[in-house]
Amino acid sequence: MSVAPVEVERPDVDETAAVDVPWVTVVWNDPVNLMSYVTYVFQTYFGYPRAKAERLMMDVHEKGRAVVSNGSREEMERDTEAMHEYGLWATFQKDR
Amino acid sequence: MSRVFRFRDGRVEVFLDPDHRALLATLLGEVDRMLDDGGGPAPDDDPLVALTGLRLSPEDLVAADDHPVTSPEDPAVARLLPDGNREDPALSEEFRRLTEHGLRTRKRAALRCAREALGGPGTPVRLDLTEAEALVKGLTDVRLVLADRLGVRTDEDAERLHDEVVSARAPDSPRLAFAGLYDVLTWWQESLIEVLATPPSSGHRGHRRPGSRPE
Repeated sequence: MSVAPVEVERPDVDETAAVDVPWVTVVWNDPVNLMSYVTYVFQTYFGYPRAKAERLMMDVHEKGRAVVSNGSREEMERDTEAMHEYGLWATFQKDR
Repeated sequence: MSRVFRFRDGRVEVFLDPDHRALLATLLGEVDRMLDDGGGPAPDDDPLVALTGLRLSPEDLVAADDHPVTSPEDPAVARLLPDGNREDPALSEEFRRLTEHGLRTRKRAALRCAREALGGPGTPVRLDLTEAEALVKGLTDVRLVLADRLGVRTDEDAERLHDEVVSARAPDSPRLAFAGLYDVLTWWQESLIEVLATPPSSGHRGHRRPGSRPE
């Protein structure tokens, strides 16, 4: 789950680090959503292949959470909202 | 009732009988009303309320109009419209201000779409894929609300609830009746997902997120 950075000039790493930190969308485990449904949502919305969707679903189920996408804050807000529309429990945050 | 849903000729056939479809439509309508941010309690003539004496939306469900950026007071509604960020209240508030109204609107549209689609004459009712997706989302929202009302907070709670239903000889309490309902809805949703996840000659359905791509 990573996006290759576009290599342009990087004048000052320290100054730009804060704004360059990508954001992530996190899906949290809940006792209601079915494993098959979570996999279905990851395939349908993100277009992930079944194997990847299932791996992320198992992370949610077993580890309690999974990072399901990354990108700009606006993109992650959009993904979080979309997960909420499907009834999944999602949040967005800065990647760490 | 062995088969609940079937994919055929590009449509999802629903084999629930009219009584079960009416029950499901009532539940979808109830959640739709809960998401009305100017909304009050369900009317007393609601069939589900008449049947069980319980309502999904408590009478003190307060409209959020005055403070649209705070989390809804009803925990079930708050679960349908969760906070966007767990650490930064300001981020969460901004997210809610920007997205909550649209989210409510789209959820309510899906609930109504599913509800109307189930009202078709005859059995099976035939849904197009938009209606079927609205139904699978609507089933999720109904189950989230029921689970909240039943106090299901953890995976273990959910397992215990299922065991209660299985070991009960007769649903002699409203709680068991709702628990049984939750179990049935879970089964229906599972079979609908099975149909949606593996449609024959799986055609692209075209509501993927623009710009996202497989690995």
